[in-house]
Amino acid sequence: MNENLFSSFITPVMMGLPIVIVIVMFPSIMFPSPNRLINNRLISIQQWLVQLTSKQMLAIHNQKGQTWALMLMSLILFIGSTNLLGLLPHSFTPTTQLSLNLGMAIPLWAGTVITGFRYKTKASLAHFLPRGTPLPLIPMLIIIETISLFIQPMALAVRLTANITAGHLLIHLIGGATLALMNISAATAMVTFMILILLTILEFAVALIQAYVFTLLVSLYLHDNT
Amino acid sequence: MPQLDTSTWSITILSMIITLFLVFQLKVSKYYFPEDPKPTLVATPKPVTPWEKKWTKIYFPLLLPL
Repeated sequence: MNENLFSSFITPVMMGLPIVIVIVMFPSIMFPSPNRLINNRLISIQQWLVQLTSKQMLAIHNQKGQTWALMLMSLILFIGSTNLLGLLPHSFTPTTQLSLNLGMAIPLWAGTVITGFRYKTKASLAHFLPRGTPLPLIPMLIIIETISLFIQPMALAVRLTANITAGHLLIHLIGGATLALMNISAATAMVTFMILILLTILEFAVALIQAYVFTLLVSLYLHDNT
Repeated sequence: MPQLDTSTWSITILSMIITLFLVFQLKVSKYYFPEDPKPTLVATPKPVTPWEKKWTKIYFPLLLPL
């Protein structure tokens, strides 16, 4: 039972070939490159959505922070499309892999911190000590602030992994329960089916929200440091 | 938990780096947002015609020696 439940999270390998590469690159097919002066409807709609999102997200940044626009936009497109495609039955969701999320979170967070150190060294170090702390508390507070700084990438990665994995697991479990209940009592199966529908709607929202939260937090860390 | 099996971590991270930092950014960098169009003057400026500086008698059709 345990092995069956987690088997959808095993990195797919087909006959020794790692097809996870193909699966991770698959969402990029959903976003065709604009080649013409006037593009087709799909590209125009995607371009309009990217413009809407980027205006919303880059409004809080100054000139230096806005150089990250391409990175943040491709990040939100990647996570959003990967999460949404993972809601198809029997599909593999790359963002359930802790490796992928750590690989995204650590370099991006490190980039924001190093940017802060290079351009505003004193101000970025000053984040470790809030204003008006009493003198005896200073050493302990510096330790606490350092820990909370280093936990930021871990929290980013684990938040995304845990949210998407938990949603997929719930869908598996409640779907299995609905199937098992159909033979015993149809009314209870209807109830569990309603729960499944509500859960799927929630998962669509979670897919997009998690992408947004990840990108928003990266941009917030950037804002602190530019 | 299969996510903690570190044997597959390197290939996953490599494929993510290629997708996120190469493929997606190449696509999004080609998005083109047109700038604000500036209003252009409809009235054309007076054309420079140097031959009008000197008016000669031949421009009067009734005075032509025909």
